[in-house]
Amino acid sequence: MTQQIDNDHIWENPLIQAIDLTKKYEDGLLALNSLNLSVQAGQIYGMLGGNGAGKTTTINIFMDFIQPTSGKALISGIDANRNPLEAKKHLSFVSENVQLYPNFTALQNVDFFVRLSGRTDYIKNDYEEVLSRVGLQSDAFHKRLKDFSKGMRQKTGIAIAILKNAPVIFLDEPTSGLDPKAGKEFIKLIVELRDEGKAILMSTHDIFRAREVADQIGILNNGSLVRHLTQGELQGVNLEQIYVDHMVGYMDKTNSNDSLTNHLRHV
Amino acid sequence: MKSNRFTISFAVCSVLVLMSFYMGTQNYKSTRAQYEAAITENLNQLSANTDWLGIQHTIIMPPNPLMALVTGVSNDIGRTIDMRTRGELVAENSRYNDEPLFAIFSFMDLEFIFGVLLSLFAILLAFDAINGEKQNGTLKLCFSNPVPRSTYILAKFTGIYTGILLALMIPLLIGSLLFPLMGIQLTADDWLKLGLIIVSGLLYLGLFLGIAITVSAFTKNPSSSFLAGLIIWILVVLILPKSSVLMAGRLVDVQNIDEINAQKSRFRAQLFLEDRAKMSNFRTDSQDPQEFLKDFNAFMGELSDVRQQKIDAFEERLNEEFNNRVDYRKSVALRIARLSPYAVFSLIATNLSGTSLELKSGFLNQAETYQNTYSDFIQSKTGSSGGGFRIVLSNRSDQSEQKEEPIDPGELPVFEMHQNTAIETIKSSIPDLLLLIIINLLVFGTGFMRFRSYDLR
Repeated sequence: MTQQIDNDHIWENPLIQAIDLTKKYEDGLLALNSLNLSVQAGQIYGMLGGNGAGKTTTINIFMDFIQPTSGKALISGIDANRNPLEAKKHLSFVSENVQLYPNFTALQNVDFFVRLSGRTDYIKNDYEEVLSRVGLQSDAFHKRLKDFSKGMRQKTGIAIAILKNAPVIFLDEPTSGLDPKAGKEFIKLIVELRDEGKAILMSTHDIFRAREVADQIGILNNGSLVRHLTQGELQGVNLEQIYVDHMVGYMDKTNSNDSLTNHLRHV
Repeated sequence: MKSNRFTISFAVCSVLVLMSFYMGTQNYKSTRAQYEAAITENLNQLSANTDWLGIQHTIIMPPNPLMALVTGVSNDIGRTIDMRTRGELVAENSRYNDEPLFAIFSFMDLEFIFGVLLSLFAILLAFDAINGEKQNGTLKLCFSNPVPRSTYILAKFTGIYTGILLALMIPLLIGSLLFPLMGIQLTADDWLKLGLIIVSGLLYLGLFLGIAITVSAFTKNPSSSFLAGLIIWILVVLILPKSSVLMAGRLVDVQNIDEINAQKSRFRAQLFLEDRAKMSNFRTDSQDPQEFLKDFNAFMGELSDVRQQKIDAFEERLNEEFNNRVDYRKSVALRIARLSPYAVFSLIATNLSGTSLELKSGFLNQAETYQNTYSDFIQSKTGSSGGGFRIVLSNRSDQSEQKEEPIDPGELPVFEMHQNTAIETIKSSIPDLLLLIIINLLVFGTGFMRFRSYDLR
């Protein structure tokens, strides 16, 4: 079932690029198997897959939280594992469950993390402007994060990413657990950022959102990229069926119908 | 939660430190008043005497202002010595002996606050420094930025340390300013020593901060690191220093002091019996009673001198053997105790404040030096060294007509206790200060190395 990525799908001058990226743990688990992907400026790459497919492992390698066994992870052409400090100047990160300092207000959190990114040229008005842009009410700016809902925290997280103004954004399950309205607002922001020229790699379970916004979609299973589709290839295909077909392949290996049912329910 | 933790710590630190300054000041003033009253009482008693040979002169250890902040052993050892022209001197009447209640509920001085309470606070403030951030998810967000791990761990340490410093320095400065206002005058040397006590306390707190951060980098969740930190604190602060004395006791055998004293008593009794037998050998050709007495006193004085020489030699040998063993056991105990940073800090603080283990021997040594001056003075006044038995004749019939003049106690040489200068004290504290710095570096280095390979996910 594994589909070889052909050279047509390796873009020129990509901002995000994985070249034969492999991660094998000491216990023998192959978490990522020779992954290739590339994302240009102004593109969203939707990385689909079940739990343990290798989505978070990929992002963790790009963030230099773990080292690849072989292959390369490049951000703006910089090796993320050999020169991580330089590579991190070019990326922003929004996790599945944005956790900031609960006793800091939204503004204090934004100020702290934006300064940590090396940006010290902002004034308070800039922060407030971006917080408003991501849909946070002005009365929430001075509230402590411990009183925020998950949706509000995700918005604050994306505000920090916007203010860092890095060309690359990694989103790890960003809409997971959000209510439909909050999810929709979040996706709208991501599209805006894409339109501003950011290269975005988004891991998700959510086929519908991925189909809605992604310029490329990669389906991962057991650490391997089993299917890759461009925006053009997505037209007229039943992505859900393709996804389920690949998961059936996955289920053949695991031999558990209950797991398949659970997974589809989760999707 | 962390913000609340800091606020509570700041409030508690302020109350504790200010309370220790206040209580220390009151304690010092009360000790000072007792000292001055005892000196006056001694002089009053002396002035009732008409003969220098019969006086009961007591010397008293003067209180030192830094004792107010670091009591050390000052309350445990005897503060008074009944001065004799010869023989062994014994320090008696310790504060705890006079007021046993304080022995149970001892003073909450700076050493206790830094050594026991604030070290626990340091653990409470930093036990989740690393794994808490990981659990909260903020660690990943921090490291999605170009932040070197070394910078992060250093910033973590200095950030929490600065918080502790702020929480501590304000009450410490207020306390120090209140000190002279409350009537305690410190010399420049005292200020320097106090400054170093605080510096060593801050080094000690830095160590516990390092321990907490290191433990949080080795454990998965904050509850585990809190438990591990607490166990280390109990071992370092409560168990190791106390068990060092027990271990040294098992390793080095020392004869019981009661056995030594019994040997001394037996020897003295034996010599006394021998001398009593020799008294029958007293012969004189003098018929005049005054001449007879003069010869008899000379005979008894000679016997007494010889006996005392024998006693001194015997006791000196016993004391030397005993003291050598005790010193050896003490050095073994201190070596074991120095495995605990609390013991190291305690030794530095008590040494700088002049209330270390050396206080008792220092007091006795200076009393022995004074004993020579005192003995010479009595000799010059009475023509006798003042020991042994003597017979004094007095004519009771004309007592009213020939009333003897009382002695002038102002003539007595004054006992002054020499305090080590700041330079002398600092010199003797340098090895322990270095040890504290080395332990700090080792602990922080371990945490630093651990964090370099820490799984940030």
